[in-house]
Amino acid sequence: MISLRKVWIVAERDLRIFLQYKFLLIMRAAWFLAQIALFGLVVNKMLTPEVQQTVGGNYYNFYAAGLIIAMLYSTSVFIGYDIYEEADHGVIEYLLSVPVTRKELVLGRSIGGGLRSFIYVSPMLLFVLYIIGVTHPLQFLVAFISLFLFAFGVAGFSITLAVSIKSSDGFDILLGVLDALIVRLSTTLYPIAYMPSYYASIARFNPLTFAADLFRWGAGIESALLTPPAVAVFGIVLFFSVFTFLGIILHEKRLEGGSWQ
Amino acid sequence: MKTILYVVERDFKYFFRYKWWIAGMISMNLADLLIMAVVYTGMVSQEITQQYVSYFVFFAPGLTITALFAAAFMIGREINMEVRREISHYMLSLPIKRWELAIGRVLAGGFRGLVYMTPLLITTITITHVFTNVVPSPLQLLSIVAALLFISIGTSGLSISLAISTTSFEKYITARSVVYYVLFFCSTVFYPIDLIQSALPQTLALVAQYNPLSAGADLSRAFLLGYPPFSAFMFLDVVAFGLVFALVAMLAYMKVTQK
Repeated sequence: MISLRKVWIVAERDLRIFLQYKFLLIMRAAWFLAQIALFGLVVNKMLTPEVQQTVGGNYYNFYAAGLIIAMLYSTSVFIGYDIYEEADHGVIEYLLSVPVTRKELVLGRSIGGGLRSFIYVSPMLLFVLYIIGVTHPLQFLVAFISLFLFAFGVAGFSITLAVSIKSSDGFDILLGVLDALIVRLSTTLYPIAYMPSYYASIARFNPLTFAADLFRWGAGIESALLTPPAVAVFGIVLFFSVFTFLGIILHEKRLEGGSWQ
Repeated sequence: MKTILYVVERDFKYFFRYKWWIAGMISMNLADLLIMAVVYTGMVSQEITQQYVSYFVFFAPGLTITALFAAAFMIGREINMEVRREISHYMLSLPIKRWELAIGRVLAGGFRGLVYMTPLLITTITITHVFTNVVPSPLQLLSIVAALLFISIGTSGLSISLAISTTSFEKYITARSVVYYVLFFCSTVFYPIDLIQSALPQTLALVAQYNPLSAGADLSRAFLLGYPPFSAFMFLDVVAFGLVFALVAMLAYMKVTQK
C-alpha cells in the first residue's frame, strides 16, 4: 500500500533541493527575460503580415506562450541530473535506508520533479497570461491541468534516460543534444505550417508541440494552425502515462540490487 | 614566451575535458542554423533580408560569433572556481611570473574560442559561397579571422574580469547571464540593425550599434555576402574591445593573485 504522505515527503525533498540550484534558476529567468524583452520584440517585427495573421494576429503572443513550454521542459528535465548526482555521491544508499518503500520513493521523485518546475515557471506563466489575456477560463483550466501532466511526463522521461544510461558523460551529451533538438523541432517557437516537411513530420508528434499548442488554445490564441485540443490532450496524457510508468518501473528495477553503482 | 605557451597549453587541455559541453554546444549551434534559421527563413519578410539573399544566409555568419563567444567565455568559470578553491595559490607557486600567467590565461580563453569556432566558420563560408558565389580573398579571410580573434580575446578578458570581481559563484553566473543575453540579443547576430532600431528603445539600439559582436558579424557579412559595406569602424570596434578587455582582465587577475 502506497502512503501518500510519504510520497509527498519525497516530493518535498526534491522541491527543497531545487531551491539550492540558485544559479540554474537565475540563468533560466534571465534567459526568459531576454527572450521576452529583446529577441521576441525584434523578431515580431521581422515577420510577414501573413505569418502574423496565421499565428492568431500577433506573433509576440504566440512566441511568449511557446517560451513557457520551453522553460517547463528544461526545468522538469533536471530531476534526471539529480538522480545521477545521487548515484555518484552515494546518496541512493541513504535514501534506501529511510522508512519509505521503493515505489513511494520513485513516485515521489517523479511528482517532485514535475511539481518543482511548475512552481518555478508559475510567475513567468502568469506574466505571459497577463500579456496575452485569458479570454476562455474553462479552456485555460483544461490546458493548465494538461501542463501539469506534461511536466510530470518530462520528469518521467528524464528519469527514464537517467536510469537507462550508465555513463554520466553519455547522459549529459544526450540531454544536451535532445534539449537542442526537441525545442527547435516543435511549435514552441514557430508554427508547424512554416516548417519544411521533414521537420514538420517530427514536430507533429513532439510532446512540446502538444503542450505549446494546448497552452495557446487555453490562453485564447485563435489560430487555425494549432494542433486540435483533443489531439493535444491525448498526446500529453499518452506521453505522461508512458514515461511516468517507464520511469517508475526502470528506476525501481535499477534500485534493486545496486545496479546504479 | 615559452612559459606563456605552457599556460595556454594547460588551459587548452582543460577545455577538451569538457567533451559533453562541447558536444552540447555544437549540437545547439547547428540546430540554430539548420532548424531555427531554416524555419525563420520562410517567415521573415523578404524586404528585410533582400540584401542578404535570405534569413538563413544572413544568420550563418552570426553563428560563428555565437560559437566563439560561448567557448571563450568558459575560461571565466574556471578562473572563478580557481579563486574560490584557492587553486590560484598553487598556480603562483609555479616558476611563472604573475604577468605571464595573466597573459597566458587571457590568450588561452581567446584561442579556445577561435579553435572551437573554426569548423563553424568553414560551414559558414561554404553556405555563403553556395548561396552567393562570393569567395573571400585571402586578405578578406585573414581580416575575418583576425576580427574574430580580437572578439574572442575580448570575450575571454570580459569573462575573466567578471569572474574575479566576485568570489560568489551565483553572482558570477547572474552577471554572466545578463552580459551574455544583452550582448547577444542587442546585436546584429540575429537580426539587422535597422530592425533593432525600429523595435527596441534607443539606448538598446545604441548598444547594438556599437556592440563588438555586431561589428564582428557585420564584418564577416561584408566579406562573405557583400553587405553591409565594410567600414574601418567595424575593425576598430573589435580591436578596441579585444585590447581593452584583455588589459582589464590581466590587471584584475594580477591584483587578485597578489592577495
